[in-house]
Amino acid sequence: MLQLLVAGLTVGSGYALVALGIHIILRATRIVNFAQGEFVVVGGLFALSFVQMFHASSWIALAGATGAGFVLGLAFERFILRPAARHGEIALTIATIGTVFVLLYGHALVPGWGSLPQPLPAFTGDVSDAFQTHGVSIPYQSVWVLVLLALALGALYLFFDRTYYGKAIRAAANNPLGARLVGIDVTGTRAISVGIAIAVAAFGGTIIGPITLVGGAGGIAISIKGFVGAVVGGLESPVGCVAGGLLVGVVEKLLQGAFSYGVSDPIVYSLLLLGLVVRPQGLFGKTSAVRD
Amino acid sequence: MIARLRADRRTLPIVLAIAAVFGVLAMRDPTIAQAGTYAGIYAIAAIGLSILLGNVNQISIGQAGFFGIGAYAVAYLTTTLNWPFWPAALVGMALATVAGIAVGFIALRFRGHYLAMATLAFGLIVVGVIHQSDALGGANGIQNIAFPTVGPLTLSGANAYWFVWIVVALIAAATLAVLGGAAGRAFEAIRNDELAAEVSGIPTRRYKIAAFAYAGALAGLAGAVYASFLGLVIPEAVGIALSIDFLLMVVLGGSGGVSGAIIGAGLIGALDIAGHQFENWREVVYGALVIAIVIVAPGGIFGFWRNRFRPKASLVRSAAPAARQIEGARAEAPLAVRGLTKRFGGLVAVDAVDFTLERGTITALIGPNGAGKTTLFNAICGVGRVSAGTVTIAGVDVTNRRPHAIAALGVGRTFQNARLFGDMTVLENVVAGAFRTGREANDRARATLAALGLEPIALTYARDLAFGQRRRVEIARAIAADPWLLLVDEPAAGLNASERAQLHDDLLALRDRGMTLLLIEHDMKLVMSLSERVMVLEFGKRIADGTPADVRRDPAVIAAYLGIPD
Repeated sequence: MLQLLVAGLTVGSGYALVALGIHIILRATRIVNFAQGEFVVVGGLFALSFVQMFHASSWIALAGATGAGFVLGLAFERFILRPAARHGEIALTIATIGTVFVLLYGHALVPGWGSLPQPLPAFTGDVSDAFQTHGVSIPYQSVWVLVLLALALGALYLFFDRTYYGKAIRAAANNPLGARLVGIDVTGTRAISVGIAIAVAAFGGTIIGPITLVGGAGGIAISIKGFVGAVVGGLESPVGCVAGGLLVGVVEKLLQGAFSYGVSDPIVYSLLLLGLVVRPQGLFGKTSAVRD
Repeated sequence: MIARLRADRRTLPIVLAIAAVFGVLAMRDPTIAQAGTYAGIYAIAAIGLSILLGNVNQISIGQAGFFGIGAYAVAYLTTTLNWPFWPAALVGMALATVAGIAVGFIALRFRGHYLAMATLAFGLIVVGVIHQSDALGGANGIQNIAFPTVGPLTLSGANAYWFVWIVVALIAAATLAVLGGAAGRAFEAIRNDELAAEVSGIPTRRYKIAAFAYAGALAGLAGAVYASFLGLVIPEAVGIALSIDFLLMVVLGGSGGVSGAIIGAGLIGALDIAGHQFENWREVVYGALVIAIVIVAPGGIFGFWRNRFRPKASLVRSAAPAARQIEGARAEAPLAVRGLTKRFGGLVAVDAVDFTLERGTITALIGPNGAGKTTLFNAICGVGRVSAGTVTIAGVDVTNRRPHAIAALGVGRTFQNARLFGDMTVLENVVAGAFRTGREANDRARATLAALGLEPIALTYARDLAFGQRRRVEIARAIAADPWLLLVDEPAAGLNASERAQLHDDLLALRDRGMTLLLIEHDMKLVMSLSERVMVLEFGKRIADGTPADVRRDPAVIAAYLGIPD
C-alpha cells in the first residue's frame, strides 16, 4: 500500500507538471493543449540525446532538455497556436490535436529516438537503487523526482508572483486588452508563457524518464491524465493542478495494484467523465468548467 | 444557411458522379475497389462528424469509439453468435446511437476543449474495454468475419464498392433533406448563438443530443460495414488515430453539410493507397495537414466553392401575409411574478420582487446600473435557476423551466447587446424566431418583416447590418411567433433620434396588436411617453411602482437616481 503510494507520487509528479503546463497555456491562450503529454515524451527524448550524444550528466541533460523545451514551446506558439487563434477556439483545439499526431508519430522517425521506449540513466547511481524505511523501499530516483518537483514549483511561484515579468504575464492572461493598454507586450508574454509550459513538460519528462522510460506512444495518456489532474484540482488553480496530478498518479497506482495494468486507464478516464459531470469546478477550484 | 445548403445540394451530385466513375474503374482494378470502399466507409462516419462540427459547432475526437462499437457488434454477433450481417449491423448502429446520446448529455454541460477532452476519453474507454474483454478477443481482435450478402450477391471487391457508395448517397440525400427542414434551422441557430436560439423557442438540448446521436449512429454503421468488409477487427484499428483521421477528413473537405465530408474522406482514401506504405510518415503528414488547413483554409476545400453561393431572392418575391392580432382568449394576466429572488453567491441581485402585468400594456422597468433589471428578465425567461419565488405566464407556473419552453408559452425577448445569428440572413433570423410555429414559420416571419418594413434587407446577413438595424431585426425575431409577452432590454441604447422615434412607433404598434410589453430603458423621454406604468428597481428591490407622473415625483426614486441619502 505505502509502496504503491510512493510509486503513485512519482508518476503523479509527471502528471502534476503536465497539469501545471495545461494550466499555464490555458491562462495564456484560453485553450487546453492536447499535445502537452507529447511534449513530455519529446522532452524526455531530448534528455536522452544529450546523454547519448554528448555523454552529458543527468543534470546537464535536464537543463538542456528544459531549455530545448522552452525553444520548442516558442516555436509551437509562433507557428501553430498564434496563427490558428485567429480562427477561434475550435480551430485552436484542432491545431493542438494535429500537433499530437505530428509529435506522436514524428518522434519515431528521428534517428536515435525510434518508436520504442528507452531507458534514461538515473540521476544518481542505478535506477533500482533504493533505501528501506518502515518496510517500504523508496527508490532514490523517486526522491529526486519529488525534490525537483518542489524546486520547479518554487521557481515558478517566485517567477510568476515576485518578478515584474511574471506579473506582466499574469496581467496579460487575466485581461489582454487592459494589459495592452498599460503597455504590456501581450503577444510576447503569451509566447513566453507557452515556452515556459513546454519547458515544464520537458523538465517533467526528464525527471520521471529514468522510472517510466522515455519515448513511445504514451503521450496521449499522459495528456489526459494531466488534464484529469487539472480538472480534479481545478483548472484555474495552479496549486490544485499539482495536487490533482499527484492524486491521479496515486489513484492510478492503487488501481493497478488492485486490478491489472490495463484496467486502470479506462477507470481513470471514466472518473474524468464522471468528475466533469458531477463537479465541474474541481475539488479546489471556484470557477466552473461550464460556461453560460 | 440556405446558401450553404444550396451549395451542398449542387455539389453532392458531382461528388457522387466522381464516385460512380471510380466504381467503373473499380470493376477492373482491385486496388481502386479496396481504397474506394474504405473511402466510402470513412465518408459515412465523416458525414456525421461534419454535422456535429460544422452545423452544430460541437467537437468530437472520439468518433472512432462509436465506429468501434459498430465494428465489434458485427464482429461478435456474426462470428460467436452466428447472426447474419444485417441484424448485427442494426444492433451495432443502435448501440452506437445510445452511446452518442450519452456523449450528447455530456456535451450539454461542456463546450470546446472540455468536450474535446471528454470525447477523447470516451474513445479511449471503448478501446480500453475492448482490450480487457476476452469475449471481444482482447488485443488479438476478432477474425473470420464473413462478407455480407444480398440475395445471391456477395458484397466484396467491386460489389462492396458499389454497396458502400449507394449507402453514402442515401445517407447524404437523407441528411440534406433533414438539414433543409426545421432541424437545419435549429442547428444553424445553435451554431451561431445558443442562448439566443433557446429564448427564440428552439429546444437546443434536444437538437444537440440528436446531432450526437446521429453522428454516433453513422459512425456505428461505418464500423459495422468496415468489420464485415475487412473480415477482422483489432482494438488499434478503432483507436485515437482513426478519430483524428475522421477529424482530418472533415476539416480537409470542409465541415458542415455532406459534400465536404465526402470530398475529405475520398481524398484521404486515395492518399492512403500510398500512405499505408509509409508508416509514421503518413500520420506526421496528416497531422501537419490538419494544422495547415485550420490556419490557411479554415473552410476546407468545399469552403472555397461554397462561399460563392449567395442567398436567393425567390422566397421574398411573393406578397407577404398581414400581421395578425394577438388572440386574447386567456383571462389570466400575461405575467405574474411572486417573491422572485436571484442570488449570486452572497449578492442578492433580485430581492423578493412581486408584480403582475396587465394585458395590452407597456410597463417600463427602470433603475440605476446594476439594479438587477436584466437579471430579472433572465429569471422570467428561464435563463439560469431562480433562488426563490415563482414566475407565472398566462396562468402557467414556469419557474425554472427551460427558456425554449417558456418562449413556447408566448414570451419573446431581446438582449441588451442584440444577439443576432450573424451567419444567417435577416429572414432566416426571423424564421428562427418563429421556430415553434412549425410549418407556419416562413409566413409568420415574412409577415413580421413586412409589418416592420424590413423586407429590403431580408437577404442581408445579420453580421453585415448597421447597429440600428440590428436592434429592429432582433425585435422582429422576438415577435415573429406572436408572443403574448415581449421583454425588451434597452432597445434605444445607441440609436439616433430618428431611430428612437421609429422604435417608439414600433412598440406602440405592438401594444395595439394586443401584446404586453415589459421594457428596460434608460431613455426617460421614451419611457415617459410610451409606458402606462413604471417600476423602479434599486439593489434588486422594487422601490416604486405607478404612473410615469407618480414615479417622477417619488422621493425614493429621486434619491436612487441622484444619490441623495433617504
